[in-house]
Amino acid sequence: MDFRLTDTQELLTHTARSLFQQHCPTTLVQQLALDARGFPDDLWRQCAALGWPGLLVPAALDGSDGTLLDVVLLVEEMGRACFPGPYIQSAVVATSLVLMLGSPAQQALLLPGMARGERLATLALTEESADFTPEAITMQADVGGMLQGSKLFVKDAHVADWLFVVVRGNGGFNVVRVARDQAGVTLWPLEVMSGEKLFEVAFDHVQVSAEALIGSPGMSWEALTPVLQRGALARSAEMVGCAQYVLDTCVAYAKVREQSGRPIGAFQAIQHHCADLLRNVEGSRYILYNAAWRMQTGLACAADVAMAKAHISEACLAVARKGHQILGAISYCEEHPLHIFHKRIQAAGLDFGAPSMHLETVAQAIGLVPLR
Amino acid sequence: MDFAFTAEEQAFRAEIRQFLHAHPPEQFAHEGMDAGYGSGAHSHAFMRALGARGWLSMCWPRAYGGQERPFMYKLVLLEELATAGAPFGPLGGVDQVSDSIIRYGSDALKRDLLPGVARGDITFWQGFSEPNSGSDLLSLQTTAVHDGDDYVLNGHKIWNSHAGIGSYGLVIARTNPEAPRHKGLSMFVVQNGTPGLNPRPIRSMTGAVYHYEVFLDHVRVPKEYLLGTEDEGFMQVLKGLDTDRFWGRFYKAPALRRVLDQLVDYANTTTRRGQLLAHDPVIRRQLASMATDIEVLRMLFYRNGWLIQEGLPTPYESALNKVLADETGQTLTALGMELLGLYGPLKEGSRWAKLHGYIQHLYQTTMGHTIAGGTSEVLRSTVATRGLGLPRESRGRS
Repeated sequence: MDFRLTDTQELLTHTARSLFQQHCPTTLVQQLALDARGFPDDLWRQCAALGWPGLLVPAALDGSDGTLLDVVLLVEEMGRACFPGPYIQSAVVATSLVLMLGSPAQQALLLPGMARGERLATLALTEESADFTPEAITMQADVGGMLQGSKLFVKDAHVADWLFVVVRGNGGFNVVRVARDQAGVTLWPLEVMSGEKLFEVAFDHVQVSAEALIGSPGMSWEALTPVLQRGALARSAEMVGCAQYVLDTCVAYAKVREQSGRPIGAFQAIQHHCADLLRNVEGSRYILYNAAWRMQTGLACAADVAMAKAHISEACLAVARKGHQILGAISYCEEHPLHIFHKRIQAAGLDFGAPSMHLETVAQAIGLVPLR
Repeated sequence: MDFAFTAEEQAFRAEIRQFLHAHPPEQFAHEGMDAGYGSGAHSHAFMRALGARGWLSMCWPRAYGGQERPFMYKLVLLEELATAGAPFGPLGGVDQVSDSIIRYGSDALKRDLLPGVARGDITFWQGFSEPNSGSDLLSLQTTAVHDGDDYVLNGHKIWNSHAGIGSYGLVIARTNPEAPRHKGLSMFVVQNGTPGLNPRPIRSMTGAVYHYEVFLDHVRVPKEYLLGTEDEGFMQVLKGLDTDRFWGRFYKAPALRRVLDQLVDYANTTTRRGQLLAHDPVIRRQLASMATDIEVLRMLFYRNGWLIQEGLPTPYESALNKVLADETGQTLTALGMELLGLYGPLKEGSRWAKLHGYIQHLYQTTMGHTIAGGTSEVLRSTVATRGLGLPRESRGRS
C-alpha cells in the first residue's frame, strides 16, 4: 500500500496547477462557455507543448509514455481550473480507442498527430435513448454499407478532425472513423447549461469502407468497455478537481466573510458543511485512484470503475450544491465562478454513464442475481 | 501509488484465513457484548488464541518479545478478523495501550503487563469520560493525589467499555488542581480488583451490557503505574483518542461489507409480493450504493493507516473517517432493518429470526457509535478547525 505520488507525478500536478492558475482563470472559462466555438487555442497549444495530449501514447508514436494515473492526476488539475476543451474526449477516450482497438498501421497514422495535439478526435456513441449501454445503439452499418442517422451529445465534434462513430454492424459493433468535414456529415449544436460543446451529428449516406473501421468488424461490446471505462475515470477525475475547487473556495470565504461579528466559518453549521465537503472530496479522490490503479495494473476493475463513477458523480454534485449554500447569494450570480464548476460536475456526472447505470454494474458485482 | 499488498502481506493474510478456518470464530466462548464496531464480542479465549499465534505482539520491538513486523500486518490482521466476524473486541484497546506502555511506560509496567498482554490474558478499558464530562473532557473531576509510593484516586468514571470484565483500566485523573484545565492531568494504569475500584454495569438499549460506570474510592495505584508524564496526560489522551478513532474504526469497512454480503444473500433468496427482493430496482440500487460507500470507507482508512505508517501528520483524518464510518454503519443497518421488514426486530434465538437476529442488535449499537469517542458534531468541528483551518467557535470557558 503506497499512496505517494511519484516524482514525475508531483512535477506533473505542480506544472499543471501553475499553468492553469496563470492561464486558465475562471473568467476565461466563462467566456468560452458562452462562445460558440469555445476552444482555448493558446492553452491547448501550451498543453500540447508539455506533451499532455500524448500522455497515454508510447514515445515511439510521439507520445510521452505516461500512465493512466498520470492522466487522472492531470485531469484532476484540469477540473480544478474547470479547463474547457477536448482533452478527455480526444487525448483519453479517442486515443484509448485507437490504442486498444486500432491496427498498428492505424495507430501510426492517427496517434502521432493526436499525441502532439495537432489532431483531435471524438467518440460519437449516444443516440436518442441517451444511454451508454449496448441496447442504446441502434444505428446500423456493415462494412461496405452506409452510415445513416444521428448521434446525439457528441462532445467537441466541431473541432474534431475525426469522429469515431459506434454503430451496430457485421453481427456486433463497428467503430467507423469519419472525417468531420466529410460530405454527408452535418453538425447541429446542442446548447447546454454547462457551456460544453455538444452536438447532434447527422450522417447521410456516409460510406463505410473496411479501412475506416477501427478494430475488427462486428466487435463485442466488451471490446469497447475499457474505452468507456477510461472515459468514466477521466470524467471522475475532472469532478474531483472541480469539487476540490469548490471546497477551497468555500473554506477561504468562510474564513473572511463576517456576519454577526464573526467569520461565518466559526459557526458550527458552516463548519459541519465544510467538513462534509472535505469528506466527499477525499472519499471521491481515493476511490478514483484505486480504480485507476487497478485498471492501469491490469486487474479486474469493472466494479471499481463503476463504484468510482457512481460515487463521485453523487458526492461531487453534493459538494457543488452545498457550496452554493455556504457561499450564499453571491454564488447565485453568473459573475461568481461557482456555477461553472457546478455545471461541469453536472455534465461530467452524466457522461459515460449516470450513477444508476454504474450502480447496476455494482449490484451484479456484489452478487445480486441478475435482472434477466 | 501502489495499492497492492506485498507477497509477505498476502502470505500473512492466507495464514490468518487458515487459522480462522481451523478455529471457527463461533467456537470461542465470549463474555462481553458485541458492540457493533466490527470487532465482535469480548472473548478472552479468542484473545488467548491470537496470543498463542504471536499476533498480539507481532509489531513490538524484539526487546519486549515482539517480532518487529511491519505496521501493515496489523491492518491485514484486523481486516481478516472482521471479515470473518471473529470476537476480537478488546484487541484495538490492547494494542494501543501496549504501544503506549512500550513508548512511555515505566520498567515496572513493562515487566508486569507486557508478557500477559502478549499471551492474550490482559485486556484494558478506558476511564476517560465522567458523568459531567462528555464532549467537554477537560472538565473532568477525578483526582489523583501523591501519597508515599502511590497515587490515591477518587472519582467517578462512566461509559467504560467492558470495564467489569477487563484486567486493567486506563484512567485519567487530575493531579494538579491549580493548573489550567488542559494541564495537570495524568494517566494511570489501574488493576481491576484493586480495593476501592467498583465497576457497575450499565445495561444498554440492546438489553446487554457493554458499558460500565466505575467508582473510585481511595484507590491506591503504585507510582510506577503512572503512564507517561505527570500533569501532561491531556496531550496523551488527545493523541490516544485520535489513534482510538483510527484503530477503533479501521475494521468497520470489512465488517460492514460482511453485513452487506448477508443482506445480498437475503435479497437473493427472499420473495416478496411475487418478486425477489434482489429484483426490486430500489433495493438493488440501495445495496449497490452501500457497497460503494463501504469501498470509499475502506480506501480512506487505508490512506489513514498509510499516513500513520509513514509517520506523516493526521490532523483531521481519523476524526473525518470515524464520522464517515459510523454514519455509513447507521445507514447500512437501517437499510437492513427495512429489508428484513417485520422479521427485522426479531431477536437472536427466535425460530423466525433472519440472519440470526443480528441486524437488530447491530442497528441498535450504531446509535452509540456516533456518540462514543467524540460525537459526530464535535468531530466535524475538529475537521473544520484542524483540517481546514476555520476559526474556532468561541467557547464558554477555555
